[in-house]
Amino acid sequence: MNDFPISKILVLDENPSYTHLIKQFCDEHHLVALKVRRGAEMSVLRTNIDLGGILFSEDYGASPEDTARIALEIHSARPELPIIIRRETHASLSGLPVSAQAAFCAAYVASDMAALDKVIDEYIFCLMYPNALLRGISEIAHGVLTGQFKDAKISMDTPYIVHDRVIFGELFSLIQLESPWCRGYMMLQSEEEPLLELIRASRAQVPADDFRRVNDLLSEITNLIWGAFKNRYIGDQRTSPGTQAQIPVIVNHKHKYISFGTVNPQLCFRFTLKDPIGARASTLFARFVFNLNWSPEDFKEIAHDAANLVDSGELELF
Amino acid sequence: MAQILIVDDSSTVREEVSTFLRNGGLDVVTAVDGKDGLSKLKADSAIKLVVCDVNMPNMDGLTMVEKIRGELGNNTVNLIMLTTESSPNMKERGKAAGVKGWIVKPFKGASVLETFKKLVA
Repeated sequence: MNDFPISKILVLDENPSYTHLIKQFCDEHHLVALKVRRGAEMSVLRTNIDLGGILFSEDYGASPEDTARIALEIHSARPELPIIIRRETHASLSGLPVSAQAAFCAAYVASDMAALDKVIDEYIFCLMYPNALLRGISEIAHGVLTGQFKDAKISMDTPYIVHDRVIFGELFSLIQLESPWCRGYMMLQSEEEPLLELIRASRAQVPADDFRRVNDLLSEITNLIWGAFKNRYIGDQRTSPGTQAQIPVIVNHKHKYISFGTVNPQLCFRFTLKDPIGARASTLFARFVFNLNWSPEDFKEIAHDAANLVDSGELELF
Repeated sequence: MAQILIVDDSSTVREEVSTFLRNGGLDVVTAVDGKDGLSKLKADSAIKLVVCDVNMPNMDGLTMVEKIRGELGNNTVNLIMLTTESSPNMKERGKAAGVKGWIVKPFKGASVLETFKKLVA
């Protein structure tokens, strides 16, 4: 597993003079570039709901007005995605149509890619995640899924940063994470039918005749990951008094959209679960949203006394 | 008349644990939270072992076991916690309430079946 999360970005820049430069920049800065066919921007946005941002260019449209129109259309559809525009002469938004300036978070020029590096850190990788946390969550979630779907083949993508707020699938769980170094939520998202099929294939003892079966199982998976996370990273630590601020979480069913009231990104882990004999795969996203507090400098793994360690599932008699 | 009471808000866990124990020859009854667990225990004097989650709605598992020893005055039933929690503070609270053992989820039945059988004998 990589020690640094990646992020998927749309590249709306067709100028051949910069194609190689942008690709090289993305490769060197943990960005996965998605090229888009002209005119397909909105359909690509509809099918990619886990993006980190957009690299745009001021000559993307047929005219400055057309460029502004496209940028505003994208910004209107997905205002949470940072759009960074490449300018020809100066790294600022000045000179762009005033109405279009609000669509962009920052500008850069190809002659100063170091400045783009800073912009990417500021707007996409704006929260730093300790390597131990990335590795730990991956191990915990993979272990839980392996335990719940014993015959399934489970694979995991490199953890990635998402600024999108679109909900994947039809069901999701949400559980609070509370510690001195983080406060927020873990959210698991999945699709009902593929998960039901996987239950039928790998958990024969559980009748998968009802959507509530999927709900119950997702709830238990959430509980197991949450419990292991707490045992590994929180222990008996408690959040200090006076830091109990709360922000409403908004779910818009019509638009499959969830907001945690902050521009903070989501740390996303994507798992693919395959029934070894069936054709269909099920996808499960584990997203961590530290919307209420994020203090990675205080992050620590709880040290357990090795002499007292008991494996999970084993009975520790007192 | 049951030998073991399983208390867990997760129907997945209730089903898996009770199916495993029934297949192992034990009589099992289930409850969905601490309140339900207390009432099922009151109603069935044959229960010799309670296997109980910690984090549950309405009444958590540690409160439930404290009430079993305190309010119900039942000092004979064996209490085992089956939970995602493994913090020393939680375990100490459990010990103080008379909990006999602790299992960190997930449940792996084979390693505990014989012990459970001894506890209900």
